[in-house]
Amino acid sequence: MLEMYKEWFDARHEYAKEWKEKSGGKVMGYFCTYAPEEIMYAAGILPVRILGSHEPQDVTEPHIFAMFCPFCRDCLAQGLKGRYDYLDGIMISQSCLHIRQAFTSWKMHIPTQYSYYLPMPMKVQSPRALPYLRAELENFKKSLEEWTGNKITDDDLRNGIELMNENRRLMHQVYEMRKKDNPPITGLDSMYMVVSSQMTHKQEHSRITRDVINELGKKENGRKTGERLMIIGSEDDDSKFIQMCESVGATFVIDDHCTGSRYFWNEVEPNGDPLTAIAKRYIERPPCPSKDWEERRRIPHILQLAADWKVKGAVLIQQKFCDPHELDTPAIRKALEGKGIKTLFLELDVTVPIGQFRTRVEALLEMLQEEDLF
Amino acid sequence: MVEFWRWKEYRWTAPDADWKNAGIISCGIDVGSVSSQAVIMTDGNLYAYSNMRTGSNSPDSARRALDWALEGTGLKQENMHFIVGTGYGRINIPFANKAITEIACHARGANFMYGPTVRTVLDMGGQDCKAIRCDEKGKVTAFLMNDKCAAGTGRGMEVFADLLQVHIEEVGDLSFKVDKEPPPVSSTCVVFAKSEASALLRKGVPKNEVLAAYCSAMAHRIFSLLERLGVEKDFGITGGISKNRGVVDRLTKELGITSLTPRYDPQVAGGVGAALFAKSLVEKQRAGQVAR
Repeated sequence: MLEMYKEWFDARHEYAKEWKEKSGGKVMGYFCTYAPEEIMYAAGILPVRILGSHEPQDVTEPHIFAMFCPFCRDCLAQGLKGRYDYLDGIMISQSCLHIRQAFTSWKMHIPTQYSYYLPMPMKVQSPRALPYLRAELENFKKSLEEWTGNKITDDDLRNGIELMNENRRLMHQVYEMRKKDNPPITGLDSMYMVVSSQMTHKQEHSRITRDVINELGKKENGRKTGERLMIIGSEDDDSKFIQMCESVGATFVIDDHCTGSRYFWNEVEPNGDPLTAIAKRYIERPPCPSKDWEERRRIPHILQLAADWKVKGAVLIQQKFCDPHELDTPAIRKALEGKGIKTLFLELDVTVPIGQFRTRVEALLEMLQEEDLF
Repeated sequence: MVEFWRWKEYRWTAPDADWKNAGIISCGIDVGSVSSQAVIMTDGNLYAYSNMRTGSNSPDSARRALDWALEGTGLKQENMHFIVGTGYGRINIPFANKAITEIACHARGANFMYGPTVRTVLDMGGQDCKAIRCDEKGKVTAFLMNDKCAAGTGRGMEVFADLLQVHIEEVGDLSFKVDKEPPPVSSTCVVFAKSEASALLRKGVPKNEVLAAYCSAMAHRIFSLLERLGVEKDFGITGGISKNRGVVDRLTKELGITSLTPRYDPQVAGGVGAALFAKSLVEKQRAGQVAR
C-alpha cells in the first residue's frame, strides 16, 4: 500500500489529468499550504500543490531574482515548461514574497483561466487576524462561486472540512506510529505520504492511508532505525536527500515542514460558522516562520515534537535565500542544543550536492554515536 | 612547461622504528579531492606515511598512496589489522574495513598532533574548509563547512600559483615581501578573485602584492567561518593550506590567537585520525573476543 504514495508523487500530473477526465471537474494549483483547501473541495474543485521537480532549469532567470529562493524558481519553471498545463486555475494564500513572485509571474506568463490572490494575514497572532481572514475566505468563496457557477452552501463547506479533517487525522495516526522504538515507516515514505496528499483527492488518499495504517500495525519493517532524527525547514520534497540520510544509519522520525507535519497538524474544529472555523484553523496551525511573530511559537512546538518523538539529532535544512527560515535558525538551534539535541544546518538549492551533504550528515551521526570509536 | 601549482609528493618512515614488535598495526587512508595520504601506525605511534595527488579515481588513489607508504618497510597490506578510509573518496576504498568522515578524523588527528588541549581545529583542505570544535579526546562537538566553493581552499591556491607563476610552496613567504599589505581581492569566488588578480597584474601591481591580496582574502574567508562556529583555545590547523604561512599568519593575526605547532606533518592529520580510529576498533574487536 505504501508504494501508492510514491506512485502518486512520481505521476502527479498524470493523476490530476486522469481525475479531471473522469470527474469533469476543475483542478486548481495552489502555492502555499495556507491555501484553504476546504473551500475548494466544497466547490468540487481538486486542489493540487504546485511543487518543483529538483532538476536544473534555465527558464526562470528573466522572471525571478536570482536571490529569491530556489523553490519558488523551481515551481515557476514547472509552469513555464508546461507541466501544469491541465490546471484550470491557480491561487496563492499570502505567505512570503518569493513564492508570491512565482505566482504573479505564472499569472503573467502562463495562460490560466482563473487566478486568485488570497491575502492571508501575516500577523496571525493579532486578535484581528481571525475576522480579517474570515472575511477574505468569504470573498474567495464568492469568487469560486462566480467562476464555477455553483453556489457553495454551508453543508458543502462542512463536507470539505470533514474531508480534510479525516485525512489529517489519518496522517496523524501514521505519525503517531513513528514514536515507536522501531518506527514502521521511514521519513522518506512519510514524506511521500504527506506530499502525495497535496496532489491527490483527499477521499482516495484517506482510503489508501486507512489501509496503510492497518498494514503498518501488523508488520516489522526489518530495518535498523539507527539515530532518531528530526528534519526542520520550509518544504523538502527532495527525496534523494532524505533517502541519503536514511541510508547512512538514521531515520527521520518527525519533522517540522510544510511538506510534512505543518501541513496537516491541526484540524478544523467544525463548530458554528464554517468559514470562521476554517479561518481559525489556519490562524492557529503550526506557523510558517514568515507569520510567527512577535512571539516565536514555533520553538516550543518543535521542542515538544522532539521530546515526544525521542529525537537525538536535528537537521535544519532551508531553501537558500529563505530569510524567514534563516532568521529562525539560530534560535531553534540554541533551543534544541539546550535540550541536548545536536543540530546540523544545511542549505538547499534546486539540486543538492549529495556528496558534501553526506559527509556532514555522517559527521552529525558520528557525533551522536562516537563513543564507540574512542 | 613548469607546473607551478604542483606540490611535491613525499613519503616518510619513522627512523629506528620496527613494526615487527607492534601489537596493533593500524592504517588510515584519506582520499581528499586534491591530495591523498596513507598513514600507518604501530600501537598508536606514527610509523610511516605518504602524501600524493589524488587521481581521477578513488580506489586507485587509495591503492597508490598505501603502496607508497608501505614501500621499503617490509610491511604488506595483509599486515594491517584494520584500515579506515576517510576523505571525499572514503566510500570508494574497496580494501578499507570502515569509512569515517574526515571531520571526525581531522579532530582526532589534531588531538594527536597538537595534544589534548586543542579545542578548535581548522582543516584547510583541497576543496573545502572545515572548522571543528572538539573535546579533550578529539571527539567532535560541533563543526561547520564552507559551501560548494573553492574560495579559501587548496585548489584555489593552486589556481593562483599557476596564474602568477610562483611555485606553490613559495607563495606564503613571497606574500610577505611587500611594502605594504594590499587590500584583499574577492573572497567569495576563485574565479572572481582570479579576474581581479589579472586586472591588478595588468595595472602593474607587483606579483607579491597580488599574492598577498589573495592570501589575505583567503584568511578573511576562513576567519568568518571560524567566527560563525566560535573559536575556543587551543587552536590547531590541519590540511595542506596549514603549510602556507601567507594564509596562516594573516588568519591568526585576525583571530588574535596563535595556532599550536604540530608535532608532525599537519597534512596527514586526517589519515592519522583514521589510523587511530582503526586502532580503537581493533582493540574493541579484541576485547569483544576476550569477553566471549
